[in-house]
Amino acid sequence: MKFAFATAGIIASTLGVVAQPSAQTRPESLQGIERVEGDWVRVDPNGSGDFGGLTSKFVPASLTPQGTAAAEAMRRAQAAPRGPAYNDEKPHDVGQPYIVVAKPCAAGPFGGGALGINPDSGAIHLVVGKGEVIVAPERGGIRHIYMDGRTHPDVSRWTPTGSGHSVGRIDNGELVVDTMGIAPGPVTAGGWRTPETHLVERFVVSPDGQHLTINYRWEDPKIYQKPHEYHYELDRLPAGSYAFEEWCDASDPIEQQSIVPPPQQ
Amino acid sequence: MITRLGCGAITALLAMLCVGATIGAQGGGGRGGAPRAFDAHDISGFWGLSFDSRRVPPATLLPRITKAMTDLHARRDVHAMRWCNLLGTPFTMDSGTPIDIRQGPTTIIVATENSPAPRYLYLGRKHVSADIYDNTTNGDSVANWEGDTLIVDTVGFHPTRGITSIPGGGFKTDKSHLVERYRLLENGDVLSVTFTWTDSTVFAAPHTYEFRYYRLPSTYEPVSSWPCDPYNETRAKFIGDPAPLTAAAK
Repeated sequence: MKFAFATAGIIASTLGVVAQPSAQTRPESLQGIERVEGDWVRVDPNGSGDFGGLTSKFVPASLTPQGTAAAEAMRRAQAAPRGPAYNDEKPHDVGQPYIVVAKPCAAGPFGGGALGINPDSGAIHLVVGKGEVIVAPERGGIRHIYMDGRTHPDVSRWTPTGSGHSVGRIDNGELVVDTMGIAPGPVTAGGWRTPETHLVERFVVSPDGQHLTINYRWEDPKIYQKPHEYHYELDRLPAGSYAFEEWCDASDPIEQQSIVPPPQQ
Repeated sequence: MITRLGCGAITALLAMLCVGATIGAQGGGGRGGAPRAFDAHDISGFWGLSFDSRRVPPATLLPRITKAMTDLHARRDVHAMRWCNLLGTPFTMDSGTPIDIRQGPTTIIVATENSPAPRYLYLGRKHVSADIYDNTTNGDSVANWEGDTLIVDTVGFHPTRGITSIPGGGFKTDKSHLVERYRLLENGDVLSVTFTWTDSTVFAAPHTYEFRYYRLPSTYEPVSSWPCDPYNETRAKFIGDPAPLTAAAK
């Protein structure tokens, strides 16, 4: 084996054509929308200090009465008791876990690539391919952004999904994406959405390629008195970063629980 | 190994002799009958397997690999499906749905419609150090073009998570090494992928099989959320669970 390797190496290097891995392209060195390719994670530009604070300074959505009613209904549903395990305010005995997730690993509201729209603390990974940009949230799901000029389907014939139907275009070297057909649900900073709601995103990469701003504009005259706008800031992960795999096994009881009180001293 | 190294060098030589390896080869026909161009170095597209797409010979396993061992992996595979676990590679390459492959400047992504975790094939990169890499169901894949063939090298498989059985026989371990060779055929309408698994703890000889994917229309739209509810009792009874979770299987 060593002989074969050495022989192949000598022959190839003599001719200057040894099959070495090509140097990795640095996404920030690319042009146009290819610069959005890579691995990104949200940052806290306001020094909020916690994840909930990331959006605390956003201008709240200005909802219509219909939008307000829908958002309130969702808030009531979320505030409803989720079962005895969640109302247990007594200290637990040693070894008795606090059950905090009734059905772990279920797709839930983040299914269908929803985190490809408003990423949470997990990284997102963008690949700019021929005819399509893919946004892959690290916590699961795929968002397809079609770049081949197709139009949205008729919303009446579309089954709403977590990430909806997205078509993209290039505007001034930037990626602009229009999305509809998202399943009903809450929107950052007090907003609401239905399948008819349109989301327009503009992806802006900083000149040094290290920062990404995603500008969001939600438009729906039934829901919003005026378009609801905010932006997320993300940093590019260092060269050599790779996508983590978020493993969650619903058959493992430990996925349900949080703290298990240890023996007391 | 000798053969593979020799072929690799020859392939590289041929690639250089074919000046301008990034040619956009002119297609002769395509399924629509009209000549069209395709880029032999871009495997982006929607791809589907059909009934005639798989050529999978039986694997030659080591004598120590008993039927009981392969049966255990088969039962764990059902358990993984039952609980909607991430299923990983090789499942991703034959998931029962078309796959969406998009080739970017730095990364190729392979996404199925019924798994939330795509494969990432990193172009021109070395493997992540085993010292820091936590093994996964898809493993760590690096990709490089040699002539008109994309060579994808994958290590770092998790030995028990997801579907571990390999087409043709055998199963993944943390010592498994997968080399895939992707080539566009028939004016870009067919994608050939040969898979070669080596694992000194499972296979007596490298296990190679080939899938040929048909290109779907570019207007195809993937279904983004096939249902998989581990709490659906009707579904659970249908699938069964012959391998309940044990500490050893985590």
